[in-house]
Amino acid sequence: MNAAAAPRSHRRPVLDPALAPPFPVAALPVLRNPQLRKNVAHAIDVIQAKRTRLVEEKVDWQALRTAAAAIRAHALENLGAYLELFEARCTAAGGQVHWAGDAAEAREIVLDLLRREKASEVIKIKTMTSAEIQLNPFLESAGIAVFETDLAEIILQLGDDEPSHIVVPALHVNRSQVREIFARRMGIENLSDNPQALTAAARNYLREKFLRVPVAVGGANFLIAETGAVAVVESEGNGRMCLTLPQTLITLAGIEKVLPRYQDLEVMLQVLARSATGERMNPYTSLWTGVSAGDGPGRFHVILLDNGRSRILRRKTERQTLRCIRCAACMNACPVYRQTGGHAYGSVYPGPIGAILTPQLMQLRHAQSLPYASTLCGACYEVCPVKINIPEVLVDLRAQVTDQERRRIKRLFDPMYLALRIAALVFSRAWLFHAAQRLARMGLGPFTRKDGWIHALPSAGAEWTETRDLRGLPAQTFHAWWANRRARPPREGR
Amino acid sequence: MNASASSREQILDRVRAATPEGASSAEEALRSWSGLPRNYVCRGSLSAQSRLELMMERLREYDAEISECPPEELPAAIGAQLNRSARRSLVAPAGLPPEWLLPGFKWKIDGGPENGGLEIGEIERADGVLTACFCGVADSGTIVLHHTAAEGRRVLSLLPDWHLCILRASQVVETLPEYFSRARELPSAPALVTWISGPSATADIEMTRIKGVHGPRFLHVVLVRDQDAQASANEDWKENEENGVDRPGTR
Repeated sequence: MNAAAAPRSHRRPVLDPALAPPFPVAALPVLRNPQLRKNVAHAIDVIQAKRTRLVEEKVDWQALRTAAAAIRAHALENLGAYLELFEARCTAAGGQVHWAGDAAEAREIVLDLLRREKASEVIKIKTMTSAEIQLNPFLESAGIAVFETDLAEIILQLGDDEPSHIVVPALHVNRSQVREIFARRMGIENLSDNPQALTAAARNYLREKFLRVPVAVGGANFLIAETGAVAVVESEGNGRMCLTLPQTLITLAGIEKVLPRYQDLEVMLQVLARSATGERMNPYTSLWTGVSAGDGPGRFHVILLDNGRSRILRRKTERQTLRCIRCAACMNACPVYRQTGGHAYGSVYPGPIGAILTPQLMQLRHAQSLPYASTLCGACYEVCPVKINIPEVLVDLRAQVTDQERRRIKRLFDPMYLALRIAALVFSRAWLFHAAQRLARMGLGPFTRKDGWIHALPSAGAEWTETRDLRGLPAQTFHAWWANRRARPPREGR
Repeated sequence: MNASASSREQILDRVRAATPEGASSAEEALRSWSGLPRNYVCRGSLSAQSRLELMMERLREYDAEISECPPEELPAAIGAQLNRSARRSLVAPAGLPPEWLLPGFKWKIDGGPENGGLEIGEIERADGVLTACFCGVADSGTIVLHHTAAEGRRVLSLLPDWHLCILRASQVVETLPEYFSRARELPSAPALVTWISGPSATADIEMTRIKGVHGPRFLHVVLVRDQDAQASANEDWKENEENGVDRPGTR
């Protein structure tokens, strides 16, 4: 309560993987903030309970998962052919297709399109891809006013905050915090903290922007190769507003978003809403094909973004990462995410999927701690509607991180590395091992209490004993005991 | 443009190099697509009556208001809904049957040769909108619009706060795949589609579901019992389909 009443003294979380601190460090502020942990746990419990109920009622759930995984895997395997087909069909329907190799190129294309439209303002549909390429700060520095239109995104934008979840990005913010942000930034006095009133405030704030701003930027849930259509899945209707009212629509989509045929939506729409929000179907799904005379924007651009995705395709194990349809079921199920929330992942993609996606998008140059941000319990794999074996990819990435570290000179001065080298030496020579055991017994003796436990160790050992006790070494090793036993007559065994 | 053109080649080259097993043409890829596993439920198993009941139950769960009527009483049912909700000034797409546009209410017609498109402001100021639809999916309580002349352009069913949608029993299917199989019967895939499952909503603040953020806050549905004995048409249709007979047009 106190935390909520006080003015929010927060530091803006760092979601640029190149700048974010490693996961264990980034997780600390959340672990020390009971209000934040409560907000996260509450939101996750609600979604999880709804998801479980609706998945259980679906008798063909596993068959749907199998089909969804197969469709996505097939689309990725034939991505080149399907991207070209999408481009041809979308262009034939009046859309204009652009290709962006990396984030910088995508940002420049957006800015160039906005300049051609002479737009000084833009409305946005929530899109993770835009956050991935950090579009908003770039456009703002170019003098363009950016208005997010998803309720959660408004909360974050006005609150100078960052998303912590890919479906409910502001789940770490509670109602009184939202009230404070809206009252301050929208200049509303006597605003209540009732979600109904807060939602109405957002509706009023945005209504004239929808009707006035001539360009919208959004993302895509699916690109349909067969027809050149684009689909957006949403709840509030802000997406429909952005897709129909402006004169120009710019869609930013990762190249992996392609589905072969229109019919594939019969699988994807069934698994997506159930997995994402625990609904049988989200309130609104929109699909459009290029431009339609008299209905919606007269100019439609779609930017196909690579930004590291084609590299992820190369290894079969890692390729499954790109099947993701951004439902967030994995983070809702993850025991680590539940404790740390999303900001600890230092990326716009948090949770288990973020732990595998971010390091790969960064070519393992950054975010190397993320593959370790998991207990490998497998809950994420179990709920994933497209059957991404996240633990398998995590383990593979850990191996890659280790390989990468092995090549570094710096490792020679790393205490962990040195300790393991010494251990390898000791474990491979019996006489050294026995000597080390004797040495350890002598060394640890003074710290071992009468109860047989070590409660406190100095220096590096303290890192262990700070949080748990260590059993003292026994007076006799198993080896020694075995040797003594054989020397004696076999009387005890009878 | 040049930069983008070379990025295109580079991206496609990288993608193809990373997926050497991939098909070289879309036709080839789509051929192997046909072999993908599809063991999920495609065809529903409910009787026609239970299918309609499920549709109404799902719509009610979304707080949609529903009434039912036989075809000849549809205008009266529309009037009853309008009166009950006290909606007087309405917008409607040009393709609606004229008898739906009841006298005594103020109608503004969008599109069509005589009318042209309404101003956004006129749509925004209307008390409500009346449209037809392409399909209803009972399993999820979803209404599918293809934005034809009777369903209106997209903005028409978006800006007004109140949406009255006419759904015929023959348009109701049980599962989402059944909608897609109806859509496949059309001469070409629909260019514009909106799937509506209940009124606009958000749960972004503490997971509390709030109705009506930007889309219509109120969804009303009139279900027209256009099938004799409420069963035969769909059952016949199903049988025909199984026997490989062309199904009757759905529009």
